[in-house]
Amino acid sequence: MELEEMQTVWSELSGQLEKQKKLTDKMIIMMTQEKYRSQLNRIAYPEMIGTVICYGAGLFILININRLDNWYTMLSGITTLIVLFVLPVLSLRSINKMRKVNIAANNYKETLLEYAKSKKQFKNGMKWGYYLGFVLMFTIMPVTTKLINNKDFFEGTKSVWPFFISIPLAIVFFIVFSKWVFKNYSKSMNSAESLIKDLEATD
Amino acid sequence: MSKKYEFTRIIKEHEGVIFKITTIYTNNQEDQKDLYQEIVYQLWKAFDSFRGDAKISTWMYRVALNTAITRLKKEKRRGNQIGIDKVIMQQTEQYDTEFEERLKILYAHIKGLNELEKGLMLLLLEGKKYEEIAVITGLSPSNVGTRISRIKQKLKTQIIKN
Repeated sequence: MELEEMQTVWSELSGQLEKQKKLTDKMIIMMTQEKYRSQLNRIAYPEMIGTVICYGAGLFILININRLDNWYTMLSGITTLIVLFVLPVLSLRSINKMRKVNIAANNYKETLLEYAKSKKQFKNGMKWGYYLGFVLMFTIMPVTTKLINNKDFFEGTKSVWPFFISIPLAIVFFIVFSKWVFKNYSKSMNSAESLIKDLEATD
Repeated sequence: MSKKYEFTRIIKEHEGVIFKITTIYTNNQEDQKDLYQEIVYQLWKAFDSFRGDAKISTWMYRVALNTAITRLKKEKRRGNQIGIDKVIMQQTEQYDTEFEERLKILYAHIKGLNELEKGLMLLLLEGKKYEEIAVITGLSPSNVGTRISRIKQKLKTQIIKN
């Protein structure tokens, strides 16, 4: 379709839309009210729920930290605590950045630049979240075994065979999954980076 | 004249414009409705800051396009994408199948552009002059011209490919 034809179709669409105006005063006033912004406020819910879970679990470990009575459960506990507090910061930081965009004052170029930058930041956060999640998968086991069942994860295990099977399996899973994650990651990072480069190069 | 009255009058006058923007930046009816509401909400929030030193339509396009972009960020995070034909069918009640088919091709071309080009294309189709497009986008008029030439070239390539 040539540009001229596109313009013809567009003006025909504009004409049709002009003929069938549907909005009433009441509908417009309703849309100006915060409570009618149906879906938007729900977007951050998964992150908020995740934050509550992470901080709740972190708090539980923190309160019971003196029960981690040997060096390896203590080390796992501290690592778990760090991961549980850092993970939500990574995702909430990018949401906050999105909310700071000044829609009324920015021009399209500025908004697009912020969009591309926060996309980059979000993807970076995702990458680190993925690494930290993997660390958490291992460190949380001895901590919860101790705090919930009052057992030493390593001493309580009679056979080492489950470790020989589960650890390589987890590593294989990590490698396969990370290949998939980073394929998607580099594609979207490249598009964000080229958009930033393109916009910053223009006057 | 009350603020609310003035605002509803302006929105009614430009409701088609908002509709077209929401169609380009979303892929299903639910998201389109959400974006429509969000644009009206953001326009209302920004209404006091509109001082009349720009044309109302210029201000409106800027706020609407910015809202669509920030919404896009959230949209991608949700990863909820549905094909465009589901939207086109519900747009207007009167147009014929042939027109619908042409409209579908038009949308497919626009959606094949990147975010900056999409905005420029929309403003061009809306009949805006390079100077006004420059005010809305923050690019210089000459840069707008260069980019529009590139878009035309890109569209031609798309036609050859198809």
